[in-house]
Amino acid sequence: MREAVEIAIGGVLAGSVFALVAVGFTLVYSVMGVPNLAQGAFVVLGALTMYSLETHLRWPLLAAVPGAAVVAALVGGATERLVIRPARRRLPTSGMLILMVGLLTLFEGASLVIWGSQPYSIPAFSGERPAAIAGIRIPTQGFWILGATAASVVLLWYILARTVFGKALRACAENPVAASLMGVPVSRMTLFAFAAGAALGAIGGEVLGPITSIEFDTGRFFTNSGFIAFALGGMGSFFGAVVGGVGLGLVQQLTAGYISSLFSNTLTLVLLLAVLIWRPGGLLGGGGVRREDVREFIGASALPAYRLTGRAAWSLAILGAGIVAVLPALLGGTGLTGSLVITGILFIGVLGLDLLMGYTGQVSLGHAGFMAVGGYTAAILATRLGVAPLVATGAGIALSLAVALVLSLVTARLRGLYLALATLAFGLLVDSVTVGLTGVTGGPSGLVGIPSFSLGGYAFASATSTYYLVWGVAGALVIVLANLARSGYGRALRATRADQTAARALGIRVPRYKVSVFLISAALAALAGSLYAFHFHFLSPEMVSTSRSLEMITMLVLGGEGTLVGPLIGVALLTLLPAAVQPLATYKTLAEGLVLVLIMVYLPAGIFGGGLSGLQRLASRITHLSPHAGTASSG
Amino acid sequence: MPGSIALEARGLYKSFGGVLAIADVSFTVRQGSLTAAIGPNGAGKTTLFNLVTNLYPPDAGSASCFGIDLIGRAPDAVATLGLVRTFQTARAFPGMTVLENVLVGAHLRVRAKPWLQALWLRAVRDEERAIRRQAEALLEVVGLADRRDDAAISLPLGAQKLLEVIRALMARPRLLLLDEPAAGLNDVETAELARLLLAVRAAGVTLMVVEHNMSLVMGIADDIIVLDLGRVIATGAPAAVQADPRVIEAYLGREAEIA
Repeated sequence: MREAVEIAIGGVLAGSVFALVAVGFTLVYSVMGVPNLAQGAFVVLGALTMYSLETHLRWPLLAAVPGAAVVAALVGGATERLVIRPARRRLPTSGMLILMVGLLTLFEGASLVIWGSQPYSIPAFSGERPAAIAGIRIPTQGFWILGATAASVVLLWYILARTVFGKALRACAENPVAASLMGVPVSRMTLFAFAAGAALGAIGGEVLGPITSIEFDTGRFFTNSGFIAFALGGMGSFFGAVVGGVGLGLVQQLTAGYISSLFSNTLTLVLLLAVLIWRPGGLLGGGGVRREDVREFIGASALPAYRLTGRAAWSLAILGAGIVAVLPALLGGTGLTGSLVITGILFIGVLGLDLLMGYTGQVSLGHAGFMAVGGYTAAILATRLGVAPLVATGAGIALSLAVALVLSLVTARLRGLYLALATLAFGLLVDSVTVGLTGVTGGPSGLVGIPSFSLGGYAFASATSTYYLVWGVAGALVIVLANLARSGYGRALRATRADQTAARALGIRVPRYKVSVFLISAALAALAGSLYAFHFHFLSPEMVSTSRSLEMITMLVLGGEGTLVGPLIGVALLTLLPAAVQPLATYKTLAEGLVLVLIMVYLPAGIFGGGLSGLQRLASRITHLSPHAGTASSG
Repeated sequence: MPGSIALEARGLYKSFGGVLAIADVSFTVRQGSLTAAIGPNGAGKTTLFNLVTNLYPPDAGSASCFGIDLIGRAPDAVATLGLVRTFQTARAFPGMTVLENVLVGAHLRVRAKPWLQALWLRAVRDEERAIRRQAEALLEVVGLADRRDDAAISLPLGAQKLLEVIRALMARPRLLLLDEPAAGLNDVETAELARLLLAVRAAGVTLMVVEHNMSLVMGIADDIIVLDLGRVIATGAPAAVQADPRVIEAYLGREAEIA
């Protein structure tokens, strides 16, 4: 009994911090209609800044606590001014989500550069000796956590419910356009929401720091947990966020204590998926569904209308095929061939993602989940049961298709933001299952002894032979998908992305196209996952985790959505650069985040798409300048 | 067969949050005719279109297209019956060129299955080429041929409205519903639109048009349905409707500035 109470207290303490993060989520979501997925990074920023202030600058505790919160608030405010505001005018909600993912990566990378990769522990505020009440041991830090949470939440509640400022803030949440017409300075409200949300997260990190260890990428964990709490409590409800946070902490600690720490997330994620699908308003029926995207605004620059066609496309294809064919010979036996194999494998996965996101406008934040389903199925069948790799791969794809079908049918009613969040929950769920099912997947340490891919007795054992296999498959896929993209199917997808209502009025069965493209992308991800496992002879959860999903999105956006070949640029840059420039490995995460943020804000069409538009503009300017240019416009 | 009915509505009702937008509306559109629905702002014209194309369900009443019940069918299923509509605000697909926009209109006529499209077989190529020729011919008709490779949303609004009309025509509709096709068009473009609509009717397509531009409507419509405050107040030939005292009151009584 005493043990149960102690576990429950631990749950409430962890849950308090989740609640703080969730309240930060709620604050930003209320004003902007987009959850700030970078919220968890402020927890880490707060804790580590406080550590530096205390140990390096020798600040006393009472100065370091508010000091670190102020630093986080400044960073949050600067983020709003420099990144969110310019992006808000140009990006649809799905783009904003990806931008937030970029910010999270950026903050993680910055923490890695500043504080390194080791875990930190902050000294407890009032000594390490736990207090004992009725024989139950409670770390004194627990009182700090509860006190800080309660004080923050009450203060925020007071501001929102009792002040004119709070009323204005809530008006922005209800209807930003009307609020701005009534003279509410909407942009100042967003600034406040970001800064206050950052400070809340930082305070959570500071008080939790002493009873947990915090490192540069712990923010991802807090973003996940805070987001789950935020969604369970009903997006947009402050009370729901607090209840959701504490409830989540309790469930996680009790699962960890009585079932297995490896499964502590699984239960909550299943719950989250169920809530997102059947009760999008949250368990408490809080904020409910607001701002439904009847028609998402798409900025002209976000979608390139220009495509390579005819001779230009053929020349590029032949040139590309030639380079791919001779590269291994040029590189000889260097390790770069292996990196090129990985590039090809990830390209196959990103191709599917491009069809889904770039062409159809459906955001999947959990696509590596399908890589995991396909990869683990193929690897387990081939390793444990001796099934031929080709058959095992087929089985992996089949299972992945089945999972995708179920997921797309249950999420059929969800649109935009909710669909993206459901896929995120799916990806996180797969993460926790691959980690938790140690008997089947090998758990966190991975699955070893996976054979090479083989076909009719020929084993693709060397990097060079795998290279030709992978790039042959990738090339065939590009041709097939490019054919699809330029005919009726592709036009239906792009019309769906552009304007669902107008597409349906022309007879396009939008739901059916969405499901079919989701299935295709899941199959390609599963294929990539299998090839990945066969190439490395090894598969671990982190190779196909949510971080991988987010990296694939970065690759796609960087190269250029909706162009099929553009993403190859993104995949190659993010795979080959870190491999070629080893000493810069520390800066990889920072650079990835920075690149994603910059691209989303300044070049939403990506390198390839942006380049094409640039060429097109140049060409039209030349035509306009030439004296022989006839009637170039009819308007 | 001429003389039969293309679109028939009976006793349609629709209210939004207690406000009655459409009340007991019944009308018929003769096959092969060009029928115009007119009325002051807020008369319920667009709501009527949205009801028969099932963007939302009516509170009561029925609608049928060539004898087939429309209510309860998904918007894309309505299109398969040969009923295609355009929208009040131009809805060119962003991210696609002018030509690609028109090609999307042919969606229901594409026979090749996706897996054949993926292999770009001869049948697919031939079909794509045929559709493209038709699209280019239509672009020629509305004078947009030399803009065909530009981004559709880079066109001026009037041209986007014309683009939407020919995109709908690519579907080879039996009944075409146009929601304020002349809105945003200048006089030259309006005259072009009138010629296009008459040519479409001559090709055997039944047309129903919601329009504010009286000179356009009176010049080309066969039948006119006048709506006011969600009710049908008059139907008939243009001359008869123009002389109807209730119509004059509906317009002149409240909105003296109507041209």
